[in-house]
Amino acid sequence: MTAAVFPEFVLGRLDGFEQGPWRIETGTTSRGGASCNLSERVLRVPLTTDDVARVVRAHELMHIRVSPFHREHVPLELDVSDRALECAEEFRVNYLLGQLGFDVSLLHDGTERLGAQRLAAGGQWDEAVCFFLAVIGTGGESDYLRGLRSAQATWPSALRALKKKVLSVVSQLDAAHIGGTDLTEEGFPRGFLHVTLPIARLVSRSMSAVGPVDPESLRTFRRSLEPGARRPPSGSFAPLVFDTSVDYVVRTRRGAHRRARPATCGTAMRYPSRLLTDPLQRAFAHKATVPGGVIVIDQSGSMDVTVDELDALLHNAPAALIVGYSHRPGDTGRTPNVWILARNGRIATSVRSGNVGNGVDGPVLRWALRAASAREPVVWVTDGQVTDSNDHPCHNLSVECARLVHEHRIHMVRSLRDVRGALRGRRASADSFGRVGRELPGIRGL
Amino acid sequence: MTSELTVGQCWSDVADVLDAGLRRVLLYGPPGTGKTFAALKLGLTKGISERLVCTEDLTSAEITGTWMPAGAGKWQWREGPAIRAWRNNAGRGGRLVVDEVDRASGDALSTLLAVTDSTESARWRNPETGQWVKPGPDFSVVMTTNSEDLDDISPALRDRFPVAIRIDRPHPHAVAVLSDDLKGPALNGSVGDVDRRVSLRSFYAFDQLRARLEPERAARLIFGEHAAQAILDALAIGALE
Repeated sequence: MTAAVFPEFVLGRLDGFEQGPWRIETGTTSRGGASCNLSERVLRVPLTTDDVARVVRAHELMHIRVSPFHREHVPLELDVSDRALECAEEFRVNYLLGQLGFDVSLLHDGTERLGAQRLAAGGQWDEAVCFFLAVIGTGGESDYLRGLRSAQATWPSALRALKKKVLSVVSQLDAAHIGGTDLTEEGFPRGFLHVTLPIARLVSRSMSAVGPVDPESLRTFRRSLEPGARRPPSGSFAPLVFDTSVDYVVRTRRGAHRRARPATCGTAMRYPSRLLTDPLQRAFAHKATVPGGVIVIDQSGSMDVTVDELDALLHNAPAALIVGYSHRPGDTGRTPNVWILARNGRIATSVRSGNVGNGVDGPVLRWALRAASAREPVVWVTDGQVTDSNDHPCHNLSVECARLVHEHRIHMVRSLRDVRGALRGRRASADSFGRVGRELPGIRGL
Repeated sequence: MTSELTVGQCWSDVADVLDAGLRRVLLYGPPGTGKTFAALKLGLTKGISERLVCTEDLTSAEITGTWMPAGAGKWQWREGPAIRAWRNNAGRGGRLVVDEVDRASGDALSTLLAVTDSTESARWRNPETGQWVKPGPDFSVVMTTNSEDLDDISPALRDRFPVAIRIDRPHPHAVAVLSDDLKGPALNGSVGDVDRRVSLRSFYAFDQLRARLEPERAARLIFGEHAAQAILDALAIGALE
């Protein structure tokens, strides 16, 4: 005998969602075995008659009641990742179910402990945070924390601190507010805006942190949860997000940028008039070698690179591939952090300013090394202050960049004025390059 | 009042068609959506509607009339609902509602063909008086069927009804008497798959019964063991406040 489910009877939304016939598909009670597609009205739920299946069905019905059905109803914040929003919404739905008297302690499938052990053993702190949001208040919470403790003793304490903050978001609100679907002045569903979003902010911030491994890092993590606190160290670079909105124009090749220069000998007499006018009679054309290479420019706040300097470089290194980078601290991939300023004879029509932080030094250097042709130099304009995606200095990341510099003979220069010299092979002392510079001697000695 | 209680497109179509003066309309679709109720009421400003419920055993006598004993060894002709509808409203004609029309067969079907014909073509001779009777100018017929396949209806009969409207949800007026938390679900009770439909009548009964019994018990009695808990869960989640 299969159980019935009536998604068509879940009404009461005030955000314009149009109820209609639903297609029911058979799901399971295991994690990920049920889902709710609001845009196409497809409900996948377990249809067995046991109590667990009933609560899983109720969970999906609650999504029908409160979750945004339109992308425009989901506020996009630069610091909040989609994954964090998903997890926060799962928490809101479970919390509302509990408020309505459903036994959410039944929501566990027995995989929580093993799943937690695997996450902890693999050091996947960000996934551990997400998973935790989905099990808060359910029967799997204790097993989950026990599983984490087996490999990461401090993680459960950090997650309990997070839980306390998450519960403080909902504790002052009634169920009608938490599940409210009336649109605010900003055009977002009230419950989602006032509950899911603040929790997702906390989750995003926590996910981006490096998993606390000792009492000191645990204290740092706890402090980061306080309102207005600095983001915790992430210990990792952000992924590259290229700016695709940059416009380019073909570079004019005149004056110093001409690739053909007059010469006294050659195969084609290109400038016969010089036989009369030039004392050296340089009537032949000679193809000049213009310095190529890849120039990587750190445009973070500490570099203080001006637009005028960049503009001048674009014209003084005509054959180079020039790329600027700067990551917005805490950004979840919505803000571009790399932009190509010149490539293949085309230059950007305008030079954009940086996003304060570094955040992507390592990935952008690797990208530059891949982009450079054989024997082309890679020049890194930097002060050597490498930071993680939350703009914290990080020893491991500094070492990572120092290794790249050493192994691939990347030319480091302090300012754009030194770029031309570096393209011609001139090298600067490592002393002036902050943390990366300090790591280089040790790496060279290996 | 939530947006779910707005008048559905099907009911707007019915109102517009009747307002435009079309007098032959077929309403079809899932049961429990108030098709018959609407057929009896919508578009009528005066008089009452006459109603026929078709079955395989329906005879023409139940449509046009039959001889009845009048005492003292006499017999009297009693007109059936179709002829009464022709004559209603002081001869202007009233409304004839033919329910479950897909079930009509045999001589009932041939009689229905005659009485639902156009006002100009239809006529019938009273066997008692010998008088020829024609439908009044305002005579209208609304047929209803639960069948989703209109091929189940005789082509000749179908041809007399140029407008067929699928009614997929009850009219909001039909749920006005229900408690607020049941109005929306009652309107949506017929939009799901066949095995998940809950008729308007069930909601009426549940609303009445839960006033006396615990909701769980009332739901079990009305919706059955299989669906009761699921319906209560959906109602509770929908009524989140």
